[in-house]
Amino acid sequence: MIIQGAKRSCIFLLCLPAVLWGVNPVTPGSWIPARWPGGPLELECRTKAKTKAALTDPALREAIATWYDPATLRLLEGSPVNCLLLTWSAGADRRTEQRQQQLVKAYAAEAHARGIAVLGLIYPGADPSQFALPAADARLDGFVLDGQFPAGFNEQLAKAQTPSSSAVVIPIAAEAASIRSAGLPVFAVEGVPPSARNLSDMGIRGSPSSEPWIESNVWLVRSFRLASVWRPVWISYQPDRGTPEDYVRSVADSAVAGGRWIVALDDGLRAKLRLGEPAAVAAWRRIGAGLKFAEDHAEWRGFEPYGNLGVIVDTAAADREMADEYLKLVGRRQVPYRPIARSQLSPASLTGFRAVLATELDPPTAGERKLLAAFAENGGLVVAGPSWGNPPKDEPFAEMPLGKGRVTVYKDPNPENVARDMRDLLSHREAGVAAFNVPSVITYASRSGDGKRLLVQLLNYSEFPSTDITIRVIGNFKTARLFTPEGPPASLSMNRAEGQIDVTIPKLVLWGGLLLE
Amino acid sequence: MNDAHGNLTRRAWLAASGLAASALSAARVQAAPQAPARSAPAAPVAIAKVPNYDEDLVAQFRKMFDQVGGIQSQVQGKTVAIKVNLTGGNRFEGFTAGDTHWVHPKVVGAVTAVLGQLGAKRIRILESAGGRRPDTKLEDKLLQGGWDVAALRNAAPLVEFEDTNGLGFGKQYSTFKVRTKPYIFPAFQLNHSYEDCDFFVSLGKAKNHEEMGITMSIKNMFGVTPTALYGGRERIFHYGQVQAPSGATAEMDPGSNRYEGWRLPRILVDIIGARPIDLAINDAIISTVGGEGPWVLGARPIKPGLLVVGRNCVNTDAVTMATMGYNPRAGRHEAPYRLYKGPGNHPKEQLTPSDETFQYADNMMLLGEAVGLGSADLDKIDVRGVPIKDATFEFEAFWKNQMPKPA
Repeated sequence: MIIQGAKRSCIFLLCLPAVLWGVNPVTPGSWIPARWPGGPLELECRTKAKTKAALTDPALREAIATWYDPATLRLLEGSPVNCLLLTWSAGADRRTEQRQQQLVKAYAAEAHARGIAVLGLIYPGADPSQFALPAADARLDGFVLDGQFPAGFNEQLAKAQTPSSSAVVIPIAAEAASIRSAGLPVFAVEGVPPSARNLSDMGIRGSPSSEPWIESNVWLVRSFRLASVWRPVWISYQPDRGTPEDYVRSVADSAVAGGRWIVALDDGLRAKLRLGEPAAVAAWRRIGAGLKFAEDHAEWRGFEPYGNLGVIVDTAAADREMADEYLKLVGRRQVPYRPIARSQLSPASLTGFRAVLATELDPPTAGERKLLAAFAENGGLVVAGPSWGNPPKDEPFAEMPLGKGRVTVYKDPNPENVARDMRDLLSHREAGVAAFNVPSVITYASRSGDGKRLLVQLLNYSEFPSTDITIRVIGNFKTARLFTPEGPPASLSMNRAEGQIDVTIPKLVLWGGLLLE
Repeated sequence: MNDAHGNLTRRAWLAASGLAASALSAARVQAAPQAPARSAPAAPVAIAKVPNYDEDLVAQFRKMFDQVGGIQSQVQGKTVAIKVNLTGGNRFEGFTAGDTHWVHPKVVGAVTAVLGQLGAKRIRILESAGGRRPDTKLEDKLLQGGWDVAALRNAAPLVEFEDTNGLGFGKQYSTFKVRTKPYIFPAFQLNHSYEDCDFFVSLGKAKNHEEMGITMSIKNMFGVTPTALYGGRERIFHYGQVQAPSGATAEMDPGSNRYEGWRLPRILVDIIGARPIDLAINDAIISTVGGEGPWVLGARPIKPGLLVVGRNCVNTDAVTMATMGYNPRAGRHEAPYRLYKGPGNHPKEQLTPSDETFQYADNMMLLGEAVGLGSADLDKIDVRGVPIKDATFEFEAFWKNQMPKPA
């Protein structure tokens, strides 16, 4: 969704105190959201929007139409989900909208009684002057704007709300760069269904160093950690279908770096759930177990991202997609990094880093150049673009010593090549954490504030378990335990040599957290 | 000073190598492989059917080493080097790299264990790890494949690992002169461990190969060339786009055919003429058909269930090729040497050979035979263990879906 010209007012709205109506004591940061669409309006929207699965199956139509029967709230018993996104307005004819809102009002009351927050799903075409006051009457806790809205929409919404309204407005942004530096209480952004495919299966001839193509949102969530504090990040996408493992992977993919997937069940699964089919109920329980695993380890969200490589992110860059590609692909190559906002670049911001990826500084200012040169002279590695000066003519990059360190200047940097090269430019000692035998796995390293605990989370994107993974860390730790949703934590032996520790994980089904203490 | 199998002993080879330069011929016929040399030796080759990697491979290799005449006298108290066949770390879904396109770690572990049992003083596992990282180690490359490096280290009394992509633990490269009649390069500069050994094993994966048609123990030797010295192998060896850098021996005729299908098989024969193989082992318990790894379009896993062992690498690869359903004397227009290479990954000129209508690779066994390294004639090779006809797994038919896929 893109809110054209409406971002500032939207941010203003969201900066209002996020105190709810008094109905639900939890804050947006504690919300575990699930997309829960239904009712006549949802049916009408599906019919109009041919991009959504056509509801030709009578069973699916029935399930959607009757989804706001309070009986469906029973599905949430024992589930960590505590925030529902209910279809509220799409600018349909007044009669349909009123029927929908009456239905949702009753359902929301039932949900509130169970301690569940309720957000109204607003689709493009909706008119704030028509839906805001009924929402206040229904005591909705806020709105989720899902789609592309016209300029001025947020101002209209602000005007339409009662002065005392503190309903939260959460726009789902089409891309992260537009909201990353905003002061939002919840950052919602469109993501991708997590998956892994071999290039050859996609008709692409790779090379021996090629790895499977992984679609993941881990980088997207971590990209919001420009500040050291955790901020709630919601990832939105709606699968057309999926196995239970796919759904748990979706939960994990957002949770690994501290975000939350807006749980979205495919219509077929919901229809079967409504009928209480055992396989569907089992799948729903597995999703719940995945959510519970994330919440049982909520403390991990407070861990700071670990990385001796700093990736400088220019939030004001003209080509923000390119900047995002660096964050995505460096992580994909298992190089632990921490993003550094260009606007925050200072000697203090570089403390603790061994290397800095500065290709985004094109060109660096005189002050930035001086700062990075000093970093290299003190033993660091600076990876820069051609505007640094003296790019090579024939080779992709040239390494030049500078003081105790070095500067690597690329002739024509691109995220794919730079990310791949980072594995060679940084020794394991410099990188701090290395992962072996993880072609279909993405790792994310973080550590406790006191630095005594190092956590390496691993998420397997293959349908097959990943075996014999080795995680190498530089440091001194006494114990290594692997936490997985499948069972109690397992103690793993540590092989110590030359100041490093190797820990081998025999089998990773889907998601694990290796905690070194 | 030939041994029982017609191979020069290491000492004889080292002594002779100094004379090899005088035997160089500047002009080589740029044509398909020639008639076999009269002296091409033939040694016994053992075939075993092994359904999976959980079998008792130690017992299997002990038996096969005995079948090919025994190696204890050559390895007892000696340093043995094993060049293992690794490549890119990508996977077929549900398989490890060692299953399909690397040699399997259990095969390497079993061979290492047997060599230790036979009294080898030191066993060195060698391969080019390939990275430019300052602290690159071969052990790390093995970890990338999920190998249990500690178990492999403990498989024999003294097991060492060396990344031979550069100097490794040595201080200078060893020069290996081609002691057969060289085709393209008269000598190579290699990591010291290829010289500092008394017995040398090439442990290859028998599988298809996009550019060479097939790869086994001889093709495995391509990885002995150190890219830290030569630079990228494609530019210098495959395509001949650049000449050898300072410190490396130049090719004899920079004006010769640059087509890799002509060039690379000859370079491989030069390499095994420079660094002879004392024991060739081909792992095809599980393998890859249609290419050398999952990055090749159309490649897929295959389960031939075969091990082949021999003292002569040409004999061994010829027999292995036969077990894969190919004619070991096949020419350019026969499977597996009639090729189709991906246009997106090869220079344009490599897609249209100047001397043939279709893409091809020359038969490296016949090239080896022509210079007297070993016979590719099945009639002359004493095959032991399982007969070829009972061991054959038709790669080509499998690839074309002309046979049921094994479970």
